[in-house]
Order: sequence, then C-alpha cells, then structure tokens
Amino acid sequence: MAGKDNATPSTYSPSPKILKKKRAPVFTDVDWVRPDGRGFHQCRPAYLRTGAVNSASGSAYIEIGNTKVIVSVFGPRESKKAMMYSDIGRLNCNVSYTTFATPTRGQVSDCKEISARLHKALEGAIILDTFPKTTVDVFALVLESGGSDLPVVISCASLALADAGIMLYDLISSVSVSCLGKNIVIDPVSEEESYQEGGLMITSMASRNEITQLAITGEWSTPKLNEAMEVCLAACFKLGEAMRACLKESASASQE
Amino acid sequence: MEFVSPEGLRLDGRRPMEMRQLRAEIGIVSKADGSASFEMGNTKVIAAVYGPREVQNRSQQLNDQALVRCEYTMANFSTGDRRRKPKGDRRSTEISLVIRQTMEACIMTHLMPRSQIDIFVQVLQADGGTRSACINAATLALADAGIPMSDIVTSCSAGYLNSTPLLDLNYVEDSAGGPDVTVGILPRSTKVTLLQMDSKLPMDIFENVMQLATEGCKAVANYVHEVLLEKTKQLDKHRGV
Amino acid sequence: MVGLSIGEKHFIEGGIAQNLRTDGRKRLVYRPIQIETGVIPQANGSARVRMGGTEVIASVKAELGRPSSLQPDKGKVFINVDCSPTAAPIFEGRGGEELSSELSGALQICLLGGKSGAGAGIDLSSLSIVGGKICWDLYIDGLVVSADGNLLDALGAAIKAALSNTAIPKVNVAAGASSDEQPEVDISDEEFLQFDTSAVPVIITLTKVGREYIVDATPEEESHMDSAISISVNRQRNLCGLTKRGSAGLDPSVILDMVSVGKHVSEELMNKLDSEIAAAEAREEE
Repeated sequence: MAGKDNATPSTYSPSPKILKKKRAPVFTDVDWVRPDGRGFHQCRPAYLRTGAVNSASGSAYIEIGNTKVIVSVFGPRESKKAMMYSDIGRLNCNVSYTTFATPTRGQVSDCKEISARLHKALEGAIILDTFPKTTVDVFALVLESGGSDLPVVISCASLALADAGIMLYDLISSVSVSCLGKNIVIDPVSEEESYQEGGLMITSMASRNEITQLAITGEWSTPKLNEAMEVCLAACFKLGEAMRACLKESASASQE
Repeated sequence: MEFVSPEGLRLDGRRPMEMRQLRAEIGIVSKADGSASFEMGNTKVIAAVYGPREVQNRSQQLNDQALVRCEYTMANFSTGDRRRKPKGDRRSTEISLVIRQTMEACIMTHLMPRSQIDIFVQVLQADGGTRSACINAATLALADAGIPMSDIVTSCSAGYLNSTPLLDLNYVEDSAGGPDVTVGILPRSTKVTLLQMDSKLPMDIFENVMQLATEGCKAVANYVHEVLLEKTKQLDKHRGV
Repeated sequence: MVGLSIGEKHFIEGGIAQNLRTDGRKRLVYRPIQIETGVIPQANGSARVRMGGTEVIASVKAELGRPSSLQPDKGKVFINVDCSPTAAPIFEGRGGEELSSELSGALQICLLGGKSGAGAGIDLSSLSIVGGKICWDLYIDGLVVSADGNLLDALGAAIKAALSNTAIPKVNVAAGASSDEQPEVDISDEEFLQFDTSAVPVIITLTKVGREYIVDATPEEESHMDSAISISVNRQRNLCGLTKRGSAGLDPSVILDMVSVGKHVSEELMNKLDSEIAAAEAREEE
C-alpha cells in the first residue's frame, strides 16, 4: 500500500509531496483549471450556522471552502464612560486571526485595517438610531484563512448581527472576484489571490439593491468592470438567500 | 574632525559668527488662526496656532489665565535616514515643553482667562537648531493669530568647536558632541527666557558663547520684525488704505 | 467635522443642485492647483501640492532592500500618510491616526494595484537591481500640513508629482559574485535615473450630495455627503483602484455612472497636473 501513489496515506505517514511548494501556476493560459477544480463563476460550497457562541447576544459561523470564520456580537450595551454622549449607537469591530489560520504560523495580517474595513461595510446596514448611547461590539475570529477572508467575515458578521436581533436595513452579503489573465474568477482561494492582477470586492444589501462597500484594486477596463460587478452582485444575491434561509431555519428550530 | 578650516571657514562655508539664511512666511495654513513657516538654512519648520478658544478639557481650565499647549512633531522625511518615529517620544515631549514655557513667558495669558491657545509645530526638515527655529516660527504664528504678547521671543543657538565660538550650529556641528547653547530672549528688554546647554564649558568662554547666541537672537528679532511689518503693510494694502 | 445648521445644509445642497457651489465653482471643477517640486532636499523626490486651502507634502525616499520571496524580481513600495496637528487641532497626539490609516489604505489601493503588483501605477520591476537579492524599497511619505477638504486627491497629485521629481541613483553591481552571496553594490553619486511616471494614475474623489456628484469637495460639502467614491484612473482611461467612503448604500448603476463621470474628469485633471508638474520642474531647474 505504501508504494502506491494514489492510495490514501495511512494515519502516521504524512505525504511529503503535498508539503512541497508547487510551481507557480500559470494563470494566463486559456484553459487552466482552478486549484480546486471549480468553474470560474462557481463559488465554493458554503456552510452557515447561527448561535455558535452561547455567551454572546448573537453569533454565527460560516465555512466557505477552507475559510472558516466565527463572529460573535455583544450588545447593545452601555458605551464606555469616557465616550461622549451620542444620540446614535456605536459600532465597534475587531477582527483577529488564530495563530494557526495561515500556513506559516502567526503570519500577522493587518488586522487593524481589516477591522476598519469591516466597520465601514457594516455601519451602513445597521439602524444605529435604534440604540442611542450604547455600543454594539462585533468580534470576528478567522479560524482558518483560505482566501476571500474579508468578504466571509463581513457576511458572517451580518448573520451574527441578525441573530443578535440588532435592527438592520437588510442582510448584507459580500463576495469578491479576482482577475487572473483574461478571466474573472469568483470567490478566489488564497493561492489565486496572491497571483491576482486585480481584485474587486462588493458588499451589498441584496433586497434593497444597494452597495454599501466596494473596493477595487488593479487595472480594469469598463467592460471588464461591468462584467465583474454583475457576477459579484449575482453571487451576493445568492449568498443573501442562503443566509436568509439559515436564519429562518434557526428561528423555526427555536420556536419548536 | 576639523570644523573650522585654517582660513576660518566652517564646513558649509560660513564664517564662525555668521548665521544661516533666514526665511519666513506668514499665513501658510489657511484653517489656522495664525501660522508661519520659518527656515534657518536647511532647517524648516511650520507653526500653527489655534485659539484663544474654549478649553477642550474642562479639568485643565485655568480661571485666572489662558492655558497654553504645545505639540512638536517631526515629519517622517525630516531627517536624513527615514525612520518611523513614534508620536510623543521623550525628545519631542521635552521640546514641546521647552517651547510651551518659552512662549508662555511672553503671551499675556492674564488677558484671556478660561481659554486655551494651541501651538503646533511641525518640523519638515531638521538640520540642527530645530528648537530655535520652532520658537521663532511659533512667535510669528502667535503674532499672526493676533494673540497679545508683551514682546516677541526669538531664539538662536551657538556652540564652541575647535576653540572657536560658532553661531547657529547645523546638524553636523551639532552632533559633534561639543557644547551647544540655545538662548531665547525678549529683544526689547534683552531678558533671557530660555537658556539650555549640553556638555561643559569654562565659565569665561560660556559668557562669550552666550553673548554670541544673544547677538544671533537680536539678528533674528530684526528679521522677524521686518517680516511682520511687511505682512502688516500687505494687510493695509488689501484694505485699500 | 464641520458643524452645520440645517439652513446651511439646505443652502449647500440647493447650490449644488443648481450647479453653483458656495465658492462659485461648478460641480465638476477643481480649485486652482499649485505644485512645487523638490521641497525636501534630503529626499530622492518631493513635492508640495496646494489645492485651495489644502496643502500636502509628499516625499519619496529610496533605500536598498531585499525583495520578498513571492516576487523576487520586483521592488517594494510603502505608502504612509501622517496628518500634522497644524492642519487641525483634532490631529493632536493620536487623534490623526484614524484618518491617516484610512488615507494610506486608500492610496495603497489606488496606486499599488493587486497583490501580485500587476496593474500598479508604479512599475515595480523597474526597482529590481539583482533578482531575488537586492531591490529598491520606495518609501512614500505624505504629510497633511493644512486640511481644507479633498485630502486624498491632493495626496494622489502630490505623490505623482514627487515621483516625477524622483531621481534614483544608478547602482553598479560588482561582477563575479557567487550566486548565493549578497552581491556587492556601488551606489553612484553622480548618475541618476529618472523614474517613469507615465503610468501613475490620478485620484478623483466624487462626493455624492443629493442626486448630484461633485469633485474637490470642501470640508463643509464633505460633512454633508451621503457617500463618496475615490477612483484612480490612468492614461489609458482604465480604472486602477476604487474605494468607497461614507456609510450609505449606493445603487450599482449609480456607482457605474460615477465611475464614468470620474473617468471623464480624470482626463482634464491628468493634463492639468502634467502641465503643472512640468512647470514646477522647469522652475526648480532655474
């Protein structure tokens, strides 16, 4: 069994071949396949769940491919004494990575920047005037980073906010695409992200047809941009549906 | 190292008692109540004054005089080697304090009780004598803001290298480790409001060096007066008088 | 933030709806732009840009460094922005950090392109000296001296001007060094290479007030915005980066419309900047 290439490795024989660094994939070819064999416009399978953390007011867990994120929401609770009076609520976001989230241990991503971007994506969706003088804390923990981390964190946070019963204008869902050569690939994995020539991330409130956050990097021509936005928005809509279904399911389960 | 050549010239070609070129401009930060830039050779600083205004932190309010605050910051690109400088390190805290105390001495704070005056100085280029340049810029900015002062403070430094007293040290001379005397005076009364010295000097030489620095301050004061007069004339012209 | 009364808000909004803003400009007109290059002699390149009351300084410093293992044949660029307390008292102490990091993040997105470095306004492969061993690290520092609205566009223009002003010393690599050692290099004091800035995009921030978009917003107008997008556009009229600011949601078609308006404005701005930069360089040489 040990000699065969295609045999599943037994428990204590790690295969050294997989650990070796693969040659940089050529994404510019016309007919390359994605590392996980997906179609260019096909998202990774998603698993959504609410109520992952008992002590929080609301929480959610999302697993999209290898990206695993857990978000817990606390509050609305009284703002810190030092804060000035505010007639609308405050939102506090914090994203952190586990030490084992990335292939190299403790590879510190810029958590502050990601937290700021999460804050910007969420604040437009929350009806902040419903809880004056108070703060809602959103803590996100990336258990495993497998690409498209920020979109997954944003979607998961919106699910957790809904679970906590915070007033939202709409559920927000977020999807990113990468531009590799001539192709636009949706929901990129880390490997694709590191070779991408351009990236586009959309955060949208699907049923209101509004975009709350948009970030584009790299060079884009107008037709390409239109195509990418269309693909992204369609995926956002689908993800939003899945999130809604997940919430309905958990609500009906709790009623029983 | 030789800081003064046998011909009596310094590294940058100045005579020992020569000051670097001065240049000042008033009103460069549009949003501030008063602002000025001040250059001494390659040293270039900007000062902005906000106030007198309501005290931001009530617990600091003084009922009989104005609260003067000062913050000194250096731009990342101000020094030769690029380094990320943490805000509020020991050196900038010390200089902030020095500037604040010097300026407080000439501002008539008793006329503006329960108010606050903020002085912000930003170093764009540091080539020795930033302390003096900052004080001179702050003086101009305060004057531009129309804040009542008993006199304008001016400052200049002098050092002693190769047994020669040198006026207005640049960075190379400053980092040579010799004595460096920074003096700030009120030119009308020639009262000293700031006096700092690193390293050591015999008493009689110290008197000479300080005398030299004081002369430097007076020269700066003349220039500052000129700049202020020019500015006032311009304002007059704009009014159409 | 500027505190505005309801009356003032209506006045500003009404003016914008009628294509006449409080300072007499039309919606898509910039304030006069002044550029001065070579303001920081210690840096490899520097520029000061004034846009109305806004004044920013950008400096470029080049240092020798090691390329990252992912892209061995490319140099690195770091962008950092500081807000001086001279610009506004709220930037005192750590007060400016939030805005500083937002601005540097937006500039990175707008100028540096994707993670692989493709689509970047700055040609990173031109910074490589010995593949995998030595490259130039460009440190781009922005400093906000005076804030009077539209900081991002001003910083973008200042960085563009500073890069055109940048002279990178020529490096001679000692031949014959074995492949695993760090090769010896000799930095020339006399020969400098000009940096190619034709691909550096311009940044345009469109602020949406009511139903209209305006460029080069003043602080009063900015405080009134629902949302704004900053786009960077290069000579080929391709989009090189986009960030959205403000919390309110936007319809996708509105965003695409804003992008096309932005592209239209970019051409004018690009030409204006190029001629201003050329004029500034000529002044400096005199």
